[in-house]
Amino acid sequence: METISVYLDNMFAGLPRNPDLERLKRELLSGMEEKYLELKREGKSENEAIGIVISEFGNIEELTAELGIGLAGTEQVVPVLSEEEAYVYMAAKRSSGLWTGLGILLAACGVALFLVLDTLFENHSLFLDNESGTMLGLIGMFVLFAAAVGMFIHSGMKLGRFKNLEQVFRLPYALKTTLQRGQFHYARTFRLALITGVCLCVLSPIFIFATIYVNDDLVPYGVSAFLVSAAAAVFLFIYYGNIQGAYTKLLKEPDLTPEKKEEERITAAVNAVVWPLATALFLFTGFVYHRWDINWVIFPIAGVLTGMSNVFHIVKRKNVS
Amino acid sequence: MISSDVIRGYNDTMILYMLLDGESYGYEISKNIRQLTQEKYVMKETTLYSAFTRLEKNGYIESFYRDESFGKRRTYYRITPLGLAHYKEKCEEWKVTQQVVNQFIREW
Repeated sequence: METISVYLDNMFAGLPRNPDLERLKRELLSGMEEKYLELKREGKSENEAIGIVISEFGNIEELTAELGIGLAGTEQVVPVLSEEEAYVYMAAKRSSGLWTGLGILLAACGVALFLVLDTLFENHSLFLDNESGTMLGLIGMFVLFAAAVGMFIHSGMKLGRFKNLEQVFRLPYALKTTLQRGQFHYARTFRLALITGVCLCVLSPIFIFATIYVNDDLVPYGVSAFLVSAAAAVFLFIYYGNIQGAYTKLLKEPDLTPEKKEEERITAAVNAVVWPLATALFLFTGFVYHRWDINWVIFPIAGVLTGMSNVFHIVKRKNVS
Repeated sequence: MISSDVIRGYNDTMILYMLLDGESYGYEISKNIRQLTQEKYVMKETTLYSAFTRLEKNGYIESFYRDESFGKRRTYYRITPLGLAHYKEKCEEWKVTQQVVNQFIREW
């Protein structure tokens, strides 16, 4: 039954929307469904019944000719995205966000674990000497890093097969309205996740301040807590951002201008350079110079820099137009 | 299998015939055509519904809703006096056509 309605949706996807066509489509659907049910009653299998119904559908141009509707030439060239594809993409994007977010969280936990173990053994010289403590921390960190890298690869592969979404595509009208409704309902969740994430980001340095205030020896613990809470915020951004991104991508207007594409490309490139660089600088100044107390400001600076690059492009585009 | 080119001019006539004895709806009409022709002719869905559109536009049939069991609402069609006149014309036309074509058909 579902197949028949999807088939009809696809047949009508290239046609304009008007009440006459809507009625016609409903009529066709009920006729086809009735035929299908009768074939099933006669003992035909699901596949046979659907096959017969579809083979007896005919030619949509016969209808459009009668109604005086021309199929616009350009419209036919643009591929139509099926409902199934769209939902598979949404699911993949969501799961990819989950794994990327978890990977980042895990990587941050790795650094935090290392810091904690290193400091723990240095300050308290428990049952192991200092060197072994550092070693243990390093091993733990790299195990977590390896798991994180595995998650990144897994998430990247999940999205790899959706290259066709980079091209221009069209959504069937019904799917478009369903997605728009979905995005509308999702907006609340997304906003909440963003606010929580921003709060976590802004409040996370408090861990460092607090440990500085209590005792300088405790700073590495503060940094660990800072890293984990900041990573939790990043997780929220990535996971919920990916779901929002899936909606935006599916519902975007097909006429994406080259300038806009270029802008997206540059933004992605800036992000890909600035953030790993900031992280590397953060870890370097921390481990080599032990300036955990102050080097976290690298992240807000990186945030401002990427923000400025976005603003720069918006201003540039305004000037051009 | 009947070529759709040949029969195209008489799809409307078949539908009008099916409505002669009373109102009916899309699937029932197509099913009856199939049975009446011993499955030699199956009218495609798009052919059926473009014919409905055309016939209604010309005033040969009129449609109305009727509620069925289980809350289903069907579109029914009934033939109009104009449609009946058109049908009679088509019958005459076919008789002539048949006579003409038959002149060229040799029985083997």
